[in-house]
Amino acid sequence: MNFKAILYIIGFLLMLTGLFMLSSIIFSILYNGNDIPAFLISGIGTSTIGFLLWIIFRKAKGSEIRKKEGYLIVTLGWLVMSFFGSLPFIIHGAIPNFTDAFFETISGFTTTGASILNNVEALPSGLLFWRSMTHWIGGMGIIVLSIAILPFLGVGGMQLYQAEVAGPSKDKLHPRVQETAKRLWAIYVFFTGIETILLLFGGMNLLDAICHSFGSLATGGFSTKNQSVAFYNSAYIDYVIIIFMFIGGTSFSLHYFALHGKISAYFKDSEFRFYFGFISLTVLFTTLFLFFNNSLSFEKSFRNATFNILSVLTSTGFAIADYEAWAPFFSTFFLILLLFGACAGSTSGGVKMIRYQLLMKHGILELKRLVHPHAVLPVRHNGKAVPNDIISRVAAFVFLYLVIFGIGSFILSFLGLDIKSAMGSVAACMANIGPGLGLTGPVSNYSGVPDLGKWFLSFLMLLGRLELYTVLIIFSRAFWKE
Amino acid sequence: MLIVIAGMGSVGFHLAKQLSKESHDIVAIDADSEKLTYAGSLTDILAIHGSSTSIQTLKDAKIEKADLLVAVTSSEEVNITTAILGKKLGAKKCIARVGNAEYLSSNSGINFSQLGIDYLIYPEEMAAQEIVSLIFRTAATDVLEFEKGKLSILGLKLDKNAPVIQRKISEVAHEYTSVDFRIVAIHRNLKTIIPTGNDKFLFNDQVFVITNPEGIEMSLKLAGKENLKFENIMILGGGRIGKRVAELLEGTMNVKLIESDEQKSIDLADELKNTLVLRGDGRDIDLLAQEGIIDMDAFIAVTEDAETNIISSLMAKHLGVTKTITLVDRVDYIPLTQTIGLDSLINKKLIAANNISRFIHKGEVIAVATLEGIDADVYEYTAHPGSPITKQKIKDIHFPKEAIIGGMIRNNEGHIAIGDTQIHGGDKVVVFALPGVIKKIEKYFH
Repeated sequence: MNFKAILYIIGFLLMLTGLFMLSSIIFSILYNGNDIPAFLISGIGTSTIGFLLWIIFRKAKGSEIRKKEGYLIVTLGWLVMSFFGSLPFIIHGAIPNFTDAFFETISGFTTTGASILNNVEALPSGLLFWRSMTHWIGGMGIIVLSIAILPFLGVGGMQLYQAEVAGPSKDKLHPRVQETAKRLWAIYVFFTGIETILLLFGGMNLLDAICHSFGSLATGGFSTKNQSVAFYNSAYIDYVIIIFMFIGGTSFSLHYFALHGKISAYFKDSEFRFYFGFISLTVLFTTLFLFFNNSLSFEKSFRNATFNILSVLTSTGFAIADYEAWAPFFSTFFLILLLFGACAGSTSGGVKMIRYQLLMKHGILELKRLVHPHAVLPVRHNGKAVPNDIISRVAAFVFLYLVIFGIGSFILSFLGLDIKSAMGSVAACMANIGPGLGLTGPVSNYSGVPDLGKWFLSFLMLLGRLELYTVLIIFSRAFWKE
Repeated sequence: MLIVIAGMGSVGFHLAKQLSKESHDIVAIDADSEKLTYAGSLTDILAIHGSSTSIQTLKDAKIEKADLLVAVTSSEEVNITTAILGKKLGAKKCIARVGNAEYLSSNSGINFSQLGIDYLIYPEEMAAQEIVSLIFRTAATDVLEFEKGKLSILGLKLDKNAPVIQRKISEVAHEYTSVDFRIVAIHRNLKTIIPTGNDKFLFNDQVFVITNPEGIEMSLKLAGKENLKFENIMILGGGRIGKRVAELLEGTMNVKLIESDEQKSIDLADELKNTLVLRGDGRDIDLLAQEGIIDMDAFIAVTEDAETNIISSLMAKHLGVTKTITLVDRVDYIPLTQTIGLDSLINKKLIAANNISRFIHKGEVIAVATLEGIDADVYEYTAHPGSPITKQKIKDIHFPKEAIIGGMIRNNEGHIAIGDTQIHGGDKVVVFALPGVIKKIEKYFH
């Protein structure tokens, strides 16, 4: 194991994190916050430690990074970043407890958006900005950002890219991974800018507009208001956020092609069609149900349905209504949605559409195979046969995901949560959604979860964000055997 | 530069690896997804699965934007078709690998550039040429010739009794001022260094020296060697390389060629009039003994199988053959074979890849070569009038430490470079460089 190279890159990640922290000071100054010292201490401290690591291990620059190192750098990087990222909250005193601060920060970086804060509005502006900033950094991924910045990573960069951008399809937009990373970030920044402007038009102030853009594009879900987006009570804002949550949940490769004039790329992609179709069906059903059973207007029913379904499906976690209050069966309905996720290659979490889609096709073909035992029936995706090893990898992933979901639910009920809250919070954290069901549902938060449970959920968030294997592999014996 | 490489066999893979390190954008096409995945996991490339003769696949590879298309699959037909299609679809330059000398000959009557193929490479021919020059320069482990021998780089292993052992380079240079040579690199303990005047020569060093024709004799003497005249040659393996080497040597030397395949050996005997063709297994020591391996001056092992070549060369060396030349096409074996005492190695894949890379380097590269088994490349550049390299004397231009200017060819005459040398526009300059500095060097010639 090349520990020098690992520490060298982690040093770089810390410098970046520190710089991002320092940038939050702008809002502390703008809104006269009392959090300037907290940012100065933690920002300068973090970048200095990063800089020292970077200098001490500079000889490791350009040394080989293999797959193993890639996994370790990414997992450790995310942990270390979450640790340092929680400093501003602790130093300022807004979240004095380390467990809570770490939970809040890793929930930010993994774009989960699960909060332990009962009164968000009490936070000074700088901290609010930093809290949403963690979403934005984690959404496209800090490793992808580093690859875009560091020119010398080369093949090593690819190992890192594969460890952070997990999933069945890793489209390279350009022959070189650095250029691919640059393009992904450019699209990301572009959409963030557009959304911020649109939200400003909707009457939000600058801080709220930026924070909600970060929250929706990164599919994170931290809001600056206690009532989340419901606070604004504005159809315009709701629709803008709906659109950008949808964009955040779509594969960024497709955005890239669309921005290069091939708008048709969206509907040529079979996963996108599935994603769109799935949303349309669930929204249609929910809208009709709300319209006929609750005394809401058709538009309001449609808006509530779309916003909440997209918020859960894309793993954002903003709320404009308490879906559990609509009807008892909606708890089950949303528990199922919690396990879905949006498209691969997006900023969303969860199992992802493509995996269900492939397994579904595989399952249906199995019936045909029983009737025609000699038929050659490959699973097709986008018109091409998918190799069997990919199908079995997807099956293994989904199985592992469900096993962890089961074990996790058990652990949380053991710690004292009722079954609905336990299952809901495990599903919501693993899929990086945020609000779950019951105790941790859309109108409450995670402050009631015992400390041990918070640590366990933090672990699940990271597991979910890095799509299981990158984290799990570090616990395997084969990984450490030279 | 956007470079599309069709075929991720060992030539394609080596090329992709080398070029992506130099930050070119590489798109690789192969019909074998396993090979692609392997290449894609070790190099920074965009891998496209499919046949390179499919128009759609070529379009997916952005062929219309490609600066260069290199077709190096194992099939000649596929390569030629790919290059022709690629050119029509917009690739600026196309190179195809062939396996037949007919294509290269000037009286083939076919104008390949009209078809869209700018350059054909035939690695076996290049390998055969390199073997032959090694046979004529018997004392050297490596020979690279520039402009028909006006300048050559020789690799020399220092013997125990070499007069320069334990002496500094600057001392030796001082003593032999009349001789034109320059030490460009020393390969020691599997590492290649670009020496300064203060470095000492040690026993068993592999020294690379650039010299003009007059300096060759003296360079050999200083290394404790003398050039022997070879008479008896044994070649193992009657493939394309073996056959070509026999063709080139059979007029001047006694050549014996061993081939295990019956039909092939009959065909070879038919075509090679002055060569004694033997049928048998080259690892069979009785056969070798019977055919007088002890009296051989050189043993050339060029079968398809790297292991056979290595084992039989070791056997020949053991039996006292002066010089062995071994074809090792597995790049990963190269460092290993050096430590077990083989003389000269030939790798046709590296040769092919180097020949292609000269199309890629900017700044008028005329030739690129890799010395087998050491980590360095040799480039031949044309110095443009007004380019930075011509502005000052060599010692004043701050040339990168990882590279060295060996010499230049001016008015058809080879000159060795020293600190006071001034390069003129139009000179052909030979540069010896460690990997990764090519970009820096290019600036001097651009």
